[in-house]
Amino acid sequence: MAYQFDFGLVVSGEYGDWILQGLAITLKISAISIVLALVMGTLLCILRITKVKPLVWIAWTYTEFFRNTPLLVQIFFWYFGSYSVLPDGVNRWLNAQDFEFSCGVIALSFYTAAFIAEDLRSGIFAIPKTQLEASRACGLSFMQAMGYVILPQAFRIIVPPLVSQFLNLIKNSSLVMTIGVMDLTYMARQIESHTFHGFEAFTVSTLIYLSISLIVSFSIQQYNLRVLRTATR
Amino acid sequence: MKRLAKALVALMILTLAAAPAFAGKLEDIKAKGVFTAGVKDSQQPFGFVDEKTKQIVGFEIDIMQYIADKLGVKLALKPVTSSTRIGMLTQGDVDIVAATMTHKKDREGQVDFSITYFMTGQRLLVKKDGPIKSVKDLAGKKVGSVKGSTSEQNVKKAEPTTTVVSFETYPEAFLALKQGKVEAVTTDEAILVGIKYADDKPEAWDIVGDYISPEPYGLGVVENDSKYRDFINLTLMEMWESGAYKKIYDKWFGKDTKNYIPLTWTMELWP
Repeated sequence: MAYQFDFGLVVSGEYGDWILQGLAITLKISAISIVLALVMGTLLCILRITKVKPLVWIAWTYTEFFRNTPLLVQIFFWYFGSYSVLPDGVNRWLNAQDFEFSCGVIALSFYTAAFIAEDLRSGIFAIPKTQLEASRACGLSFMQAMGYVILPQAFRIIVPPLVSQFLNLIKNSSLVMTIGVMDLTYMARQIESHTFHGFEAFTVSTLIYLSISLIVSFSIQQYNLRVLRTATR
Repeated sequence: MKRLAKALVALMILTLAAAPAFAGKLEDIKAKGVFTAGVKDSQQPFGFVDEKTKQIVGFEIDIMQYIADKLGVKLALKPVTSSTRIGMLTQGDVDIVAATMTHKKDREGQVDFSITYFMTGQRLLVKKDGPIKSVKDLAGKKVGSVKGSTSEQNVKKAEPTTTVVSFETYPEAFLALKQGKVEAVTTDEAILVGIKYADDKPEAWDIVGDYISPEPYGLGVVENDSKYRDFINLTLMEMWESGAYKKIYDKWFGKDTKNYIPLTWTMELWP
């Protein structure tokens, strides 16, 4: 009567292929979203620390909005909600593309960018204000001072929280299955519904998520250690 | 890593220990005086909450009531979802699962199935007057489905160039169809009929195409209790032979209902 474990069924044959396909999608959507989120987060943070009021205000609104609403709602907003705002022709064109995947990327990167911007801002605050003043005094423009002096230091400080954001994004990516993106979690659900061996399917997918996270955090920490060693030399 | 392994082993032991001692389901049910059925509570017309009485009613509920009467015990209903139904059955929370569950070979590992008590097939729900008339018309287009159903792989097999987009629930899949994100929604005809008539404008939608795959529904019962399963099977056959089945069927799927589906199959009757 007890549950009959059968891990072989889940990791081999057709179902094993499903897991691999799901893993590929999870890695792809996470990687693209991480890059986008990093770029957007940096831009947002720069807007936020400029002294130009409207820009600061836009960045602030963005950050608070995306940080304080549920990601699942945002995913549905991009996917179902955008329909009523966009013109018909655009909708038709979008629907013919891989709209599910794009919406997943947009939702994940927009959401995570807000957190990255905040982390980066605190990193910048950790750098003595005199450095910016000194760089400006040396004749660097604001953007140059940011690019050559402030941001490189700030990024080094925020590596640990940044890693957390990356890991969160990878785990959050499982939510995109709600709009039909066939990621790892989706495939685990699929196997469960086909075989009723949900325990095994989810154990396997959990272990895969765990491995991805450990690999990502380990490699970034290694990189960080090396950079820190060079920096303090 | 070692701690993780220990935790996993502990989890498995707990799962195994949680399984109840086993003394034959029939005796169990009679001793309890209650027959507990896991049913759907939002799947018209199989099992759903009646707006007036707030009770779960439906085709599958009536079948369960018949079996409970035959056992001479009270019927208790527990709502299940596609993802909870098997766990609840193996843990003994419910005695039987009647939840639009397709009998598939790959699903035999965890539970046993009764003989088929409802036969339907997978078809397509499309916009009326639209370009989709059969599964072949889906070539290169997107089709919506619902997770946990058996429909996705079937439609892929019937038309390999179609892209399946699966949603959590039927209302979401239907919304995607309305917004033109998918060209059709595919699942069992009996469920499509329910979606179509739940809409404000049922006449705007059409159910088209031949059966992509047969979908025989079976009742889920615990593994390796043939006495219990025989009892369920024989009761189903008795229902069919006595006409009690036809009566329940007509009540939910007959000509006078909005979910009209002609009764075109026959139950497997053991000689």
